[in-house]
Amino acid sequence: MNYTFNWSVLWSGQSGQWLLQGLITTLQLSALAWVLAVALGILAGALRTVPLAPLRWGATSYVEFFRNVPLLVWMFFWYFGVPPLLPRGAQDWLFSHGLEFWAGTIALGVYHGARMSEVIRSGIGAIPRTQFEASLAMGLTTFQAYRLVILPVALRLIVPPGTNESLNLLKNSSVALTISVAELTFQTRQIETYTAKAIEALTAGTLIYLALCLSIATIMARVERHYAIPGLISRTTAG
Amino acid sequence: MKRMLALVLVVAVAQTAAPALAQDTLEKIKSTGALTIGTRTGSPPFAYVNKDNQWVGFSIDLVEMLIKPEVEKAVGKSIKVEKKESTPPTRIPLLSSNAVDLIAGTMTDTPQRRESVDFSLTFFYTGAQFMVKKGSPIKSVNDIAGKRIASQQGSTNAKILREKYPQAQLREFPDQPAAFQALLQGQVDAYTNDGIQLYGLKAKAPKPDDWDVVGDFYSEEPYGMAMRKGDAKFKAAVDAGLKSGLESGKYFEIYDKWFGPKGELPYPMTPQVRAYLLKQIGK
Repeated sequence: MNYTFNWSVLWSGQSGQWLLQGLITTLQLSALAWVLAVALGILAGALRTVPLAPLRWGATSYVEFFRNVPLLVWMFFWYFGVPPLLPRGAQDWLFSHGLEFWAGTIALGVYHGARMSEVIRSGIGAIPRTQFEASLAMGLTTFQAYRLVILPVALRLIVPPGTNESLNLLKNSSVALTISVAELTFQTRQIETYTAKAIEALTAGTLIYLALCLSIATIMARVERHYAIPGLISRTTAG
Repeated sequence: MKRMLALVLVVAVAQTAAPALAQDTLEKIKSTGALTIGTRTGSPPFAYVNKDNQWVGFSIDLVEMLIKPEVEKAVGKSIKVEKKESTPPTRIPLLSSNAVDLIAGTMTDTPQRRESVDFSLTFFYTGAQFMVKKGSPIKSVNDIAGKRIASQQGSTNAKILREKYPQAQLREFPDQPAAFQALLQGQVDAYTNDGIQLYGLKAKAPKPDDWDVVGDFYSEEPYGMAMRKGDAKFKAAVDAGLKSGLESGKYFEIYDKWFGPKGELPYPMTPQVRAYLLKQIGK
C-alpha cells in the first residue's frame, strides 16, 4: 500500500551510468588505499618485531594512533585539517586537483595500514624465533632475514585475516562520501535523489558490494592455496 | 548460485511482507498515542537543537500547535509528538518503514517525490541562492562555470546544478556543517542551498559580515510535510491543521516568532510568498 517498487529506475535514465561511475571510483579508491595500507602494514608490522627498540616504538605509536581514532575523523582530518597547514599556493593547487579523492585515499590507506600491520605482526609472531636465529647464523643480516625468510612466510600465513581486512577496506571506502567523493554509496543516494526510490537504489548498492566482496574472497582463497607451503599450515598437516 | 537464490528469496519475501505491515496512520497514532515526526537537528530555524539542548523550530511548532490538535480531533484522544532525526537520504525510507509518520523539516515538494509520498499544503517558500565570501566574483548562478560549488547531498539544488550548469564543479556533502566548513577554508568557492537556510547559516557564522548570500532564486523550493502515499484521512488531518492556522492567523504568529524582527532569524515574508500561501486556502 505505502511503497510501490519500481526496479526500472535502476536501468532507466542515468542510473546505470552513475552506478558504473561509482563502482569505478570505489575500485580506484580502494585499490590505491589498499596498496598504501599493505605497504605501511608490512613496514610497521615488521618494525614492531625487530630487535631495535626505537624502531619498535615508532611503529607502535603509528599503529595505536591511527587505529584508535574513527575513520570518519581521519577523513575530516586529511580533508579539512591538513590543507591549512600548507602554503597558500599548494592549497589552491590541491583544491583544484581533486583533493577529495586523495584525502580519501590517504585517510583510508593510513587507517587500514595501522590495522593491517597488526595482522602482519601476528603472522610474524607465529613464526618460531629459531627461524630468525637460524637465518642470522647462516650469515644473513637482519634486513635480509626479514626480506628473504620471515616476511615471505608471514605473508602466506596471514592471507585469511588479510582478506578480511581488505574487505573491510573496500566497504569502508564508502565513508569517503562524507568528503564529497562520488563513490558507489554516494551514487546510490544520487539515484534516490532523482527518483525518490531509496530501497531500489540501496538494493543495487548492496548487491554490487556483495558481488565485489565475494569475488575478492574467492580470488584470495585461490591465492592462499597457490602459495601455501606444504606442511606449514595446520589444515594441510592435520588432514 | 545458491547464495544468489537465497538473496532473491529474501528480497521477494521482504516485498510481499511490506504491505501486510502497513496500516492506517491515524489508527497507528491512536494505538500508540504518539505522532512521530522526522525532522532535523541542524537546520535552524526550521528544526534544530538550541543552546538549552531543546529540539525546537518553526516546522516543529507548526506540528505541535496546528497539526497536533487536528490529529487529536481525528483520533479522539490526546497524543504526544515524538521527534526523530531524518536527513535527505533517510526521510523517505523512514516514512515507508513506518518509523515516522510525518516529515516536518525542510523538505521541498517535487513532482518526483510526489510519486513516492504525499505532501501537505506548502508551509514555506524559498529558492536556491549562493553563499560566498564577501567580494567574491560569484554574484549569481551565471558566474559559476569552472568554480567549485558545495551543495548538500540529496538536495534539489545539487540536482539542478548538475543538469543545467554542468560547467560548475559540484562538491556534495552529507550535511550543512561540512559544506560550510569547506567554504570557510576555501576548498570550495561557494555553497548553494535554499536562501533561507543560507541566511540561517550566515547568522550563526563566527563572523557573519564576512559572508554574502547572492543571486536570484535559481530554483523554486516550496516546503511541504511528507507522509505515506495514499493515506487520505491522515493527509486531511494534516492539511486541516495548516489550513486553520492560515485562516486564523495563528500560522503568521508562529512565523513571526521565528522569522519576525525579534525572531531567531529575521526574514520578513514577501507579499508574493504571503499570496502564495493564502492562495492554497482559496484566499
